Formats: sequence, C-alpha cells, structure tokens
Amino acid sequence: MIRTPLRPLARILEARSKGENPDSIERENLRLRHEQMRDKARVRAEGRLLVMGVMFFCGFMMVGTRMALLASTEPEEPQATVRAAQIISQRADIVDRKGRILATNMETNHLYAHPHEMVDPVQAAKELVKIFPDLKEERLLKDFTSKRKFLWIRKQLSPEQVQAVHDIGEPGLNFGPRETRIYPNGHIASHILGGASFGREGVASAEVVGVAGVEKVFDEFLRDPANGSQPLQLSLDLTVQAATEQVLAGGMMLMNAKGAAGVVMDIKTGELISLVSLPDFDPNNRPVPLTKGSASDSPLFNRSVQGLYELGSTFKLFAASQALELGLVTPDTMLDTRGPLHWGRFRIRDFHNYGAQLSVTQTIVKSSNIGTARLAILIGPERQQEYLRSLGLLDVPPVEILESSGAKPLVPKKWSELSSLTISYGHGLSVSPVHLAGAYASVLNGGTRVRPTLLKQSGPQHGERIVSERTSAQVRSMLRKVVTDGTASFGDVPGYQVAGKTGTADKPKPTGGYYKDKVITTFASVFPASDPKYVVIVTLDEPEDRMGPEPRRTAGWTAVPVAAELIGRIAPLLGMRPEVEPAALGEVTLAAH
Amino acid sequence: MSYLEYNVKYVPTGARKILYLNWPLILLITAAASAGFLMLYSVTGGSLRPFAWAQMIRFGMGMFAMLVIAMVPIWFWRNISAVAYGLSVLLLLVVELFGVVGMGAQRWIDIGFMRLQPSELTKITVVMLLAAYYDWLPVNKTSRPLWVFIPVMLIMIPVALVLKQPDLGTALLLMIGGGAVMFMAGVHWAYFGVVITAGVGMVAAVFQSRGTAWQLIKDYQFRRIDTFLNPESDPLGAGYHITQSKIALGSGGWTGKGYMQGTQTRLNFLPEKHTDFIFTTLAEEFGFIGGISLLTIYALIIAFCIATALSNRDRFSSLLTLGIAMTFFLFFAVNMSMVMGLAPVVGVPLPLVSYGGSAMLVLLVAFGLVQSAHVHKQR
Repeated sequence: MIRTPLRPLARILEARSKGENPDSIERENLRLRHEQMRDKARVRAEGRLLVMGVMFFCGFMMVGTRMALLASTEPEEPQATVRAAQIISQRADIVDRKGRILATNMETNHLYAHPHEMVDPVQAAKELVKIFPDLKEERLLKDFTSKRKFLWIRKQLSPEQVQAVHDIGEPGLNFGPRETRIYPNGHIASHILGGASFGREGVASAEVVGVAGVEKVFDEFLRDPANGSQPLQLSLDLTVQAATEQVLAGGMMLMNAKGAAGVVMDIKTGELISLVSLPDFDPNNRPVPLTKGSASDSPLFNRSVQGLYELGSTFKLFAASQALELGLVTPDTMLDTRGPLHWGRFRIRDFHNYGAQLSVTQTIVKSSNIGTARLAILIGPERQQEYLRSLGLLDVPPVEILESSGAKPLVPKKWSELSSLTISYGHGLSVSPVHLAGAYASVLNGGTRVRPTLLKQSGPQHGERIVSERTSAQVRSMLRKVVTDGTASFGDVPGYQVAGKTGTADKPKPTGGYYKDKVITTFASVFPASDPKYVVIVTLDEPEDRMGPEPRRTAGWTAVPVAAELIGRIAPLLGMRPEVEPAALGEVTLAAH
Repeated sequence: MSYLEYNVKYVPTGARKILYLNWPLILLITAAASAGFLMLYSVTGGSLRPFAWAQMIRFGMGMFAMLVIAMVPIWFWRNISAVAYGLSVLLLLVVELFGVVGMGAQRWIDIGFMRLQPSELTKITVVMLLAAYYDWLPVNKTSRPLWVFIPVMLIMIPVALVLKQPDLGTALLLMIGGGAVMFMAGVHWAYFGVVITAGVGMVAAVFQSRGTAWQLIKDYQFRRIDTFLNPESDPLGAGYHITQSKIALGSGGWTGKGYMQGTQTRLNFLPEKHTDFIFTTLAEEFGFIGGISLLTIYALIIAFCIATALSNRDRFSSLLTLGIAMTFFLFFAVNMSMVMGLAPVVGVPLPLVSYGGSAMLVLLVAFGLVQSAHVHKQR
C-alpha cells in the first residue's frame, strides 16, 4: 500500500511560498487518513455484525422450528427400550410332592440413609439404636453427619422393624425393597434346596440367584416369568424327609458317628422321597465354605450325593445277581470259601471262617468275601464293568442338584482281575449312597433300570432291562434272608418284610492304606420284599457302638438298627400298612435252604 | 469545513437523561419478566408465594439498580471495568476457598440476604473488560498475536476457575461471550478458525478419553451427553428431565392447555419446573403461540441492542452492548435448546423468567450498562 505522505514536500514548499501555514496540510491529510481507517473499520465491523446477525437469526429459527415441531407432535409417553434398572425378582416357589412349600419369597426391606436429607441425625441415630440394639450410636451419628450421600444401615428388615423405622419419621431414612428367598422349614432338605442369594443388586431391588442345590440347577426355570406362578414340584415328601432327618440324627448320636446319609427312593419311579445328609445347615443362613481342611467336613457337604465311599459288602448283590442272570450259578450252587484266597501277592480273607463251602445264598447271607470273589472270577472283569455301568455306578448320578456333577465315582485306573475281585465285595470302587439306591432299585424292582430323580414323576420309569424278573426275585429272597437270619438281623421291622444287605468298609487314609478303626457302614434295603415299593439306604460315617464291652463298628450293629427305626417311622407316613408275609415268598425261602 | 457541516454533539445531562433511556427496551424486559411472574404464579398452583412474590421483589430491586447504572456516565463504567473484572475473579477464587457446597459444585457465596454466584457476575465483567480493552487498543494492532493473546488470557482465567467448580455451562457461555466481543472488535478470521478447529479437536479428544485413565470430564457430564443424544434410552433415569419436558411441550400443542391447566407441570412430572425448565410450563399452558411470543420478545430485545450499538460511535459502548446482547442470546438459546432436547442439559436459566436471584440481578445490571451506553451516546 502506498501511503500519501502527511507532509508532501511539493505542497509544503508551495504553501510556504504562498505564506500559508503548512501544518494545516498535515492536519488535512491526517483527517483524511483517519476517515479512511474509520471507514475500513466500519465496513469490517458491519461485516462482522452481519455474521452475528445471521447467527442470531439461525438460532431463533432453530428454536422456533423445534418449538413448532414439538407443538405439532402428539405427546406420547415413551416406553423404555432398555430397562437396565428393572430387575425381575419374582422367583417361583419350590414345593414337595404334596404341594407343601419348601422355598418361597418374602418381601423384606434393606434400610439405607441419605444423610444430606436428614432432619435430625442425632435423634435418628438414637431411635435406630433402640430398634436395632447391635448398631452403635456414635458410629451412626458419625456416618449421618459425614459428607456421604448414601449408606446402607441394615439388611433384610422384617415388616415390624420397617414400621418401627417409619415411626421415627426421619425423611433421610429409606427402604430398598428386597424379594428375599426363605425356606420356612429351616434345615429340612437343606442340601437339596441349596440356597439363594442376591446377584446384581441395586438400591431399589435385587436379583435373587440360586447358589446350590436345585435352586442353582433350576435357576433359569425359577426366574423365568413365563412360568407364571407355577412352582417347581420336587419328588420329596416333606414329612418323610423330616422323619428321616430326625431318625438319622438320633442314630448318628447313638452310634457316635460323625456323619450320616439317608436315601429313601421309590423303587419304580426313581423319585427320591427323602435325601438326607447330616450334619446339615439352614439354607436361610448358608454357612460359608470351609477355607481349610477337607470339604467333606463342612455341613455344606452332601454325603448322600457327593460322599463317594467304598460301600463294602453291599456290592455283593451285584456279583450275585449278575452270576445268576448269566446262568453261571443258581442260588444253591456251592462255592469254595476256604480262605484265604490267594491272588498273586494278595490274600482275600473273610470276617469269620465260614467253612469249606457255602451256597450262593449263604454267601450273601453270611457276607463272604471269598465266595463273592469266586463269583467275580466266574464273571470276569469286562462283564462286571459293563454290568456296573448299566446300573449307573460308573457315571455321575442324574440327581438334579448342582453337587451331583462333582460325584463322579472313583474307579480303578486299570480294571484288572484283582480289581474285579475287590470290587465284587465293595472295595476299589467309590460311589455315593444315591448311586447305590439307583443300582439297588434297578436290580430289585423286577430288573429294570431306574435313575434317581428329584422331580415328581407321573409314573414308573420303564428303563432298560438289567436282570430278569426271576433273578430279581431270587436276589430279593436272598436279601430277605440276610435280614431274617443273616448279618442284618436287627433290620427286621415286623409287617414290612425288610430285605437288605449290610456293608462295612474300612475308611481309606488320605496317605494310602486303610484305617483299622474308622469305617463306613451301610445298610441298603428294600421293603416289602415280596413286592418292593421303596429303597432305603442308610450310611453312617465312622460309627462306633460303645454299649458293649468292646466297640462294635460293623453295619449290623450300627447302620442296620438305624435303618430299621427309619423304616418303622416312614412306612406309615408313606401310606403302607404292616402286612403278614405272603406264603409264596416263604416257599421260595424254603426252597433256597 | 463549512459551518453547515458542523454536527452538534450533544449528551443529555441531569434529569433529562430519563427521557433518553431506551424505553422500548425497558418495556420488553418488563414484558419478559412478567411472563416469568405469570408462570411462577402458575407452577405454585395459583399462589404468589413462595416464588412469584420473591421474584417480583427481586425484579423491582434489579430495575432500580438498572436505572441507577443507566444514570451513571458510560465512561465511568469503562474506567472501572478492569477493577470490576479483578473483583469478580477474586470472588471466584473466594468461592473456590469458602463457597457453600451445593449440588456437588461450589458456586455460591453467602452474603447474608442472598447467595451470590460470582460466575454470573463474570459473565458481565469479562465482556466489559474486553470492550474497554478494544476501545483502548489502536485499531491497527487488533490482530497482532500479542494483542490477541492478552484478551484470550483475560477470558481463560475466569473460565478456568469456573471449570474447576465445575460448571461447564457457564464456562462455555463465558468463552463464547468473550469470543463474540473479540469477533466484533475485528480480530482476524484466522484466529477464530483455529479456535473452532481446536474446539472440535478437544470434543473429539473428550469422547476418546471416555473410560480411559486420562478421562477429561466427569462421568455425570458424559451421562448428560449420552442422555442428550438418546434421551429415550433411560426415560426414568438420566433422560427424565428431557423426556418429561418434551412431553409437556408436545401436550401444549399450538394453543396450549390454558393458564394454570398444565398437567405435566402441575402434577409434578417435571423437575426444576420453576427454574431451568420453566419454559416447558409456559409452552404447555400457552402452547406454540405462547412460546413463540416469548421468543419474539427476546428477539426484539436483541434487535434493540443491535440498533443502539450501531448508532453508537463510541467503540466501548457498542462493543459492550453487543457483548451483552450475545450473552443474553446465549442464555435463552441454550436454555430453550436444552428444554427442547437440542442441547445437553446444562444448568442455564431462562433469562428474566426463571426463578433465581443471581441471574436476574446480573442481567438487569447488564441492561443497566446497555442503557447507560444508550443514554450517553453522542447525538
């Protein structure tokens, strides 16, 4: 830009020559220049103002248009597309086979505080301590006057407590409703029900999730609102379950056992009428799992399903029934029972010396290990393994509780001839009482496979055939004789024709080998023998009958009397009348002599 | 220079000043405030108390303050603008140290009869100081980097303090208001281009930072943005304000439900119905016609401000008037956009209408300055 000089020399000289003041020229030029500048600034400012004016206009138009758009739309209450805050909490009830409540829900409230909304924190703290004596007044007051906006005060208030807190009249104390799972029968059926706790938790509601037992396995079903109010019906009978727990608890105390398991199962339908493990717990207040030591020492441990034990002589039934079914023997075939039986480096002994020979029936009645081992030699390991598998003894039990998935039977790594001998009398294969119940039912109900279940069934399971009706009847009469003249003589309950087999197994040491003075005793039974309806298994962990001069630990002295007491108690509850033993069975019994 | 070209420069003095006040502007302000009184009367269910009466008293006090300020020559205000700015920044600092904690942010100083929000005060003082700065600065230096850097710093100091409170809405208003004065003063386009680009970059950075260790804004601010972008996602939670407000606006329709007949607001569906969301009450009861009328009043206020700024040859006066007009515009544009779901919910009141002392007083003081500029311009 070429600037006009403020004092152009030519003009100044010209002015001087005319005698004028040259300063006026400078003033003139300065004025012109300022005017130019002002004009430029003004043009620019007007341009800027125009931009701003356009912006204002756009703003007005936008707001006005939006207003018109909103005014012209029909108001519509929006529906939530994502209901993240809402948690469906209504959980279905669980009932027993007769519709009695085993698990239900109760509305409780969690108490929380909004300290900034509190009118009188001092009074509130004082009143709260009156209602809940275990709260500390100073602690509450400190919390209420702190800068915290939110704090939980107490969980799961009863309706009475809620009313008492309402009566304080403090607006800063609020309630978060909670659908709480409750088990009105307390510890009864605790291992089956398992328990529930809160999952995702908000202030106003929380999700209830099953943590164990059927609550866990049927979690989806119980939470599914599509099921409406339809409860989950179990096969359990609450009264039988309660009686079983009571009898077993008494028996456990009498026999100084550290644990007990009991199974009562319908022999045709596989429905578990009661399933007990002691010691038990209250699912309303589930104990925490043990952090050290063996999990099997926790009351949470379900001995009847999770407890894998070598169940001893109760297994002899399987050897006998298979040998009969294969036509290798008849009940009267004589077996060589001279002991000890040598097999390689190992020797198999009997508890007593039963002489040179025993019939198959007597082998079972007297519970001869050697006799049973002879049967196993006849059968052979492959056939034995196949047979035990068909009875469900080598797989996890199908029982519908979380814990059953962990109850995989412990089988020998190599199913050798020796293994087959020991397994035939119940050593070397660890299964749970509920396994045994299923296998006994399958052999003794006429010979068709039964799978234990916790859900109520509409009729008998028509499973695959395991043994013939005839074999089934033959082994039933053998088991009946075990009770009438064998090792389970305390097991007879007049009128109910109990038939069963005892089993006493030394407990394995964790370090290897077996304890001399720690046993698992089992009585596996069915009743009535002529037309069996129920399987009853009673297992005691480390029992010791100290009433005699020497402690007695065999099943006949420990598990059997407890089972007899149990059958005497539950048979009437199951609607069975005591009956005179039919003659037909008597004849079979006679024929077996 | 002939005698005929000579312009008589005249500035009114004494009581004559009252005649030279911008009376149309006063009328428009009163009209807007009266709409506020009506709505406050309505939201309390036909009662002067507690809101309408208090608001009227504040308006009266504010009008008095406005007139007093208008009577004082504009060059006095120009001369003290630096002091006013310094004082307001000091108050912001005091808030930082001794402020009453309210709604999670320190924003008030309790000065006995009312709670003063220094951040409101800075909205005027920043505009004042920038106008005075550009009045003082020779025009040819306007776009030199150093002389641009100084006003940017003058804006950023209070913005930083307000952001720390934290009050994102006020900070943005301060920046845009100050920027508008710089823009009107003729700072080169390129600077604004750079700032806008940087701003867009910052926004992108903020979104990128979400959930990372260097997250730049608070979670509640992210939630507000989320809610703004999709209020239907959570109509009972964070989207509640906007959803209910839009329902109210929609149910008002073209002509409204009639005075005191608004169900959405009367039945307490709407939160903050007497403060930030008062516009929904108005739109529900008077419909589109009512809303557009209020908008027209606001537009006229802006128009009168621009008119007086254009006719004023004093650089300070016109810049100040335009800066205040811009701030006023931002107030109601942001508030209305927010209520109608065009902008995220930031706590900006509807000027002259919303219940609240600080904002009302500060706006009337600002209009007092506009009046003073108008009265004392050369005629």
